[in-house]
This record gives sequence, structure tokens and C-alpha cells, in this order.
Amino acid sequence: MKPGEQKLPYLFQPGQFGRFKIKNRIKYGACCVSNYNTRDGAITERELARVKVIANTGCGIITNQGAYPDPLGEGKAYFRQVAIYDDKFLPQFEKIAAMIKEQGAMAIQQILHAGRYGGIDLGYCVQPSDVPQTLPHFRPPKIMTREEIRDCVRQHADAAKRCIRAGFDGTEVTSFMGYLLANFNSRFTNQRTDEYGGSIENRGRFMRELIDGIKQATPDNPLIVRLNGAELMDKWGGNTEDECFELMQQAVECGVDMISVTVGWQEAPESSIGRDIPPGYWNYLSERAKKMFPNTLVTFGNRLPDPRMANDCIRDGIFDYWEVCRPLLADPEMIHKAAEDRLDEVRRCVGSLNCLSRLFRDLPYTCTMNPALGHEVEPEYHVTPATVKKKIMVIGSGPAGMECAITAAKRGHEVTVFEKADRIGGNLYAYANNDLARPDDLHSIIRHYEAVARKLGIELRLNTEVHAKFMRSVLHQYDVCVVAAGAPIDREAFAHVEGHERLVDALDVAHGRIQAGERVVVIGGGKIGLTVGEFLRKNGAEVTIVEQEKRIAGDIKPSFKWRHASWVEELDIPCRTSSRVTRITEEGVTIVNDKGDRSFVAADTVLLASPRKPLHELLHEFEWMIDELHGIGDAVVPRGLEQAIQEGFRLGVRI
Amino acid sequence: MNVAVLPDPLAWRAAAANRPELFQTLDAGSRIGLIARTSPARMLVWHAGDEGIDVQDAPFPGFATSGVDLLLSADNEALAEIVAAVQGQLFEALRCGIRSGAVVCYMLRRRCDLEAKGYDELLEALGFAFMGACR
Repeated sequence: MKPGEQKLPYLFQPGQFGRFKIKNRIKYGACCVSNYNTRDGAITERELARVKVIANTGCGIITNQGAYPDPLGEGKAYFRQVAIYDDKFLPQFEKIAAMIKEQGAMAIQQILHAGRYGGIDLGYCVQPSDVPQTLPHFRPPKIMTREEIRDCVRQHADAAKRCIRAGFDGTEVTSFMGYLLANFNSRFTNQRTDEYGGSIENRGRFMRELIDGIKQATPDNPLIVRLNGAELMDKWGGNTEDECFELMQQAVECGVDMISVTVGWQEAPESSIGRDIPPGYWNYLSERAKKMFPNTLVTFGNRLPDPRMANDCIRDGIFDYWEVCRPLLADPEMIHKAAEDRLDEVRRCVGSLNCLSRLFRDLPYTCTMNPALGHEVEPEYHVTPATVKKKIMVIGSGPAGMECAITAAKRGHEVTVFEKADRIGGNLYAYANNDLARPDDLHSIIRHYEAVARKLGIELRLNTEVHAKFMRSVLHQYDVCVVAAGAPIDREAFAHVEGHERLVDALDVAHGRIQAGERVVVIGGGKIGLTVGEFLRKNGAEVTIVEQEKRIAGDIKPSFKWRHASWVEELDIPCRTSSRVTRITEEGVTIVNDKGDRSFVAADTVLLASPRKPLHELLHEFEWMIDELHGIGDAVVPRGLEQAIQEGFRLGVRI
Repeated sequence: MNVAVLPDPLAWRAAAANRPELFQTLDAGSRIGLIARTSPARMLVWHAGDEGIDVQDAPFPGFATSGVDLLLSADNEALAEIVAAVQGQLFEALRCGIRSGAVVCYMLRRRCDLEAKGYDELLEALGFAFMGACR
């Protein structure tokens, strides 16, 4: 037994699922469709390379991403989702099942009919009733007839048979997160008056027929059903939690072999899996399921990213299997690191929901934390030993610099990181300190970099600012220089404003180098200005945000934009949009909006949070001082965490 | 429980007139409906015409034939708050209702169509940023 397995004995204990022995209590959940495949549902080499990584994660059960079961594509939710409505798809599914089983895992294929969120190539989606969309990127509804419902059940059963013929050990159907099964179960979307609607017994009929149909088609193979413990749609007339559990009861009585407890619909007016939800928040739903159905296996993992928490949950009878996906997108080695007691090296999922944001822009999913995700098929993204070992100096220890340093060191290069502050992390450290959602997620990135850099023997030279003079002092000591020094706030852009010398750099306040007063005006309603402004307001300051654009949060990801907008409202922070500051005095600032209206806001601190200016001068100064010179991250173009990590990795992997 | 009463049509028209910046970009023919969720018998509609926003008070014919682009479906309590706010902070009340779940904002057209019809300002005022997928 490996040292980490001894520390997490419940997680790594073997299990039994039907006639299948399972090597541990970890189920890879089909949390995301990759969107890596062809428009007509065929699996690509890119997908197969990705599945190979998934197969190697070390999970005891692996669920392959959802395939739509109908030839029309009414069940298709994503442009490049895989299909399983025909035998022509079998050869690629056979490869996937074989890859999973070669690693000693049980192979499950999910069948996903997206219902209300489907019909992506069509002009409509199918639903039990005519309930319009609340998210306008989905298609208008078409009510399913009884005959269409029967066809749909048959298509699921045929798809299940096909999965088993491809070599999968079992199948899964899913209601998560508001797909067809959920649409029938929920009072929100099921307003039928026939035998499929009305009472909870009738609303559950489609699910029971689905379970029955699949069980009859594949009697020797287990079936998993993913069901909401909470829809989070009850405020809109959807099911209460009690009703959700009544429906689970129906599934259990119908003979389903495992219940996967999930939370929330895509359109739910509440948060379910974002970074603002604390880990473990939804465990009570799984605990309730396990208590209600002691003889049915329960799997769960919503907002439960830590193997140690999962181990304790299994010990405490909260679930039987830990269902995990996004943390394994961020670090496919997480289970192995846990088994080897190397959890400090795990690259945690920080809940940025970049994966889902991309899917809802019809793009393939990627991961903020894992730059190789989606590029597994490309050798250029593989960390391979460097042909020529080099001495590399990296200037800046933010995410771009550390990612580059670590990737290069893994390849055998000798790396030194120079950081002018007394700690690593760059502006990520300041972001983490001011984040209202969950600072520990962001701090975990820095801790990860520290732990891995230490193990790789990367030299960290703190309190060391690199400039031309310093470069001359280390001439010929390094082969490569990587400028990852970020992008400071550009004070020059405000040099024409009367009183500009009173401006305080928002990053200085975010880092704790300068204390802001009690009345603060923040110039710039983007990521930095909002994060600092919200933090100051939360701690009692009066804050006003001035933004020259029409809207705030212009540089924030869609999956987090709503959160900032709601914090601004909840904290009652006035936002002066389409406005600019024209004068700064000891008493406050004068603001002019796009109509020419002038106003005064009292302030004892005026923070400048935008724009940022990349440190191109370092690149110019060092050009003739070093053999190889590169720029990455904000030092090239100011953007965000994801781009910093991606660029750091992409350079580190090819130096 | 409050009885579901829709706002007075004249007050509803005045509420739109008070916020011209939200409506002036709408294409002629754009329609925004309001119904009571518990008893959707009637529908109050802001209708964008060449002369500005008109209001129609008509029987609610069901989602499919409602002919609106957006449909606000408010529970009784939210409806009471909307009626109370109709001459004041109406859009703040609507946004608050949408965020809390007391008002469901149905989108009967796709986002690209809504944007093309000039709904950007109105969607922003209704707090559309709160309605992201998979949070």
C-alpha cells in the first residue's frame, strides 16, 4: 500500500459494483462534454488522446462523456458532442472502452439527451411542455408527443445496448443539469396533463420507463442515474428538495444500480458549483440520499474537490463513491499524487468555470489551471526532456513566470526565478487577498508553485529586482531570459489630469503596501478595480467606482461577471459608468460623464486600477544582453490568470 | 397571500417613458410581456412602435403564441412590489425579482436576435449578467 493510500484508506479501499470489482472509491464523472469531436458526432483523435489521459487518472470507475442517442440531434447540446445513435460510431467507442479497461477501471458510457438544452443544430429543442427558455442561447421548445416519448425511450435503450457492445461495463443517464430527464421530473418544465405530467408519480414516469427500457436492454450491466438532490429551480416553480428525493426513491424502486446525486440546473438563479460555493456545501444532499437508500450505491462530488474531504465523507457514510471531474481536468495526476502522499503538488481546480464558459460559447473546453488539456494529441504540448540543457532566468514569479519555470525545470533546464518582492505569486497574491469568493483557491495556486519549485530545485531569488544594471552583472551566466514581470498600472495615462500626483496605485493597496482611507474612489471598473473596491467596501470603506466604458467588468469571464455585478449591488457600490475623472483634490474627485454632466465625489483615497501597461522596456533593454529573450503573460499583453498560465507553459515546454 | 394584480396600463406606459434610454434602441415591433405566474390570465405588453412605447393589456394566450420577445412572469409578492415601484424604481424592482427568483424572465428569442433588435440596454437593466449558465 502506498503512503497516501494509508492516509486515505476509505477512498482507496476496493469496492463492488454489481458483478464488477472496483479498485478504489473514485468515479470519474462525465461533468463536461469536451466539444473536441466532429459536427456530426464522430469521435476524433483529439478526443481519443484526451480519453487516454482520463483513463490514466487512476479512478476505479470512469464515465465517458455524454453521447446523444437520437439521429435528429434533438438530444445534442453541444456543437461537437459525440453521438451513439448508430452502429457506425461503435469502432471509436470500442477504443475508448478498451483504453479505460486497460487501466483496470470500470467503463461507463453516459447517454445524454439534453432536452431543453438540446437541438443545438436544429431550430428547436424538445421538452415535455411549452416552457420558454430563460437563457437565450438555447432553442425554443417543441412539446414531445407520447409517440416521441416512446421513441426517445427506445433510442436510449438502443444506445445502451450499443455501449455494452462497444465494451462498456455499464451505462449512465443524466438529468444533470437540466437535461431531458430533469425536464420531465421537474414541475418547472413539466406541465403536461397526460400520464407524463401533473403528479410526481406521473412526472417520474418517463424516468421509470427510461430505467426500465435500459435495464431490459442491458440486464447484465449496471445502470447509473444522475439525479438532482436540489434543482435550485424551486423559486421558479420547480421541484423542492423533498420532491427531488421522492423521484430518487422512484429510481431506486425501479432497480437503478447507482444514484449520482447532483445539484442545480444551468439556468438556476442560484450558484451551485462556482468558486463562491464553499467545498462540502452540498454534502447534506448526498448524506440524505445515502440514509434514504442504504442498499443502493450513491456517488457524489459537486463542489467537493479535495481527496481528504472525500475520504472522510466515505468514512462517515455520506456517499460510497467520490464522483470527481473538474479537479481531474485541472490535474489528471491528482489521484496518483494523493496515493503517493504528494497532495501538496496537486494543481487544484479553482472553480473559475472556464471549462463551462467556453462550452457556452460553443468552443472546446479548456482549463485555466491545466494548459495541456485539449492538446493531448499534440506532441508540442508534451513535457519531454530538453535536447540541450540551458540555464534560464525568469523575471517575475507570478503565474506566467512560475508556470514557465516549473515546466522548463521538469524538462531538465536549470532555472532561477528573480522576484522583486519578498514572496512569490506576483499580483495573484494580491488578487487572492482581496477576493470575496474563496481566497484559498487562489492562494492554493501559489502554494502549489512553491511546493513544486522546491521539489524541482528551482532557485527562487526574492527581493531581487532585475534591471539593465543587474543584467550586466550576470552577463553570460544564463542562456535564456524570460520576462514575466507583469503589467503595472499606467499612471502616465492620467498625467494630464489635474491632481494626478494624488493617485494611488490600486495594486499597492491590494498588496497591502498602502492603506486606503475610508472614502475611496476607484478609477477603472475592471477586474482589478472591482476586486479591490469590493474588498474595501466589505471592510467598511465608502467606495465609488468610475469607469469610462458603458459597462463595468469588461475584462471578466462570463462565468464570474455576474458575481461581480451582484457583489457591486449587494455591497451598494455606486458605479459611475461612461465617466472619467477630470480633477483630483484633497477633498475628492470631479467626474464628467459622456453627456458632459459634471459631479463631485468626496474621497480621501483615489485608486488608479486601469489601464495597465506591459513592461516592454525590459524586453528592449535586454535584447542585446542575452542569447534567448522571451516575454510571456501580462508583460506582453495585460490579460488574466488563464493566459498567464497558458503562455508560461507553452514557452516552458519548448525552450 | 397577495392577490395577483397587474400594474395599471397607463402607469406601465409611463414607466417605460421614464426610462427612454432602455427602450429607444428597440426595433419597432419589439414586445415585452408581464404576467402573473400563479394566474396568467392577462398579459401587459410594452410594444415598441414608431411613436415610442405603447401598452397593450390583453388575454394571455400561452407562451407559444404570446408574440413577445421577453416575458416576465412574476409571483404574487413580486407583482405587488412591481405595482408599488411602477412610478419609481421599477427596473431595480424587476432586477431584484429576477435575481431572487420571484420573477422568471423568459427569453422567447435567441440572444443574437435580441441584441439585433436593440435589447442590450434593457437586458442590462434587468440584470442579465446574473443569468449566466452553470454557476
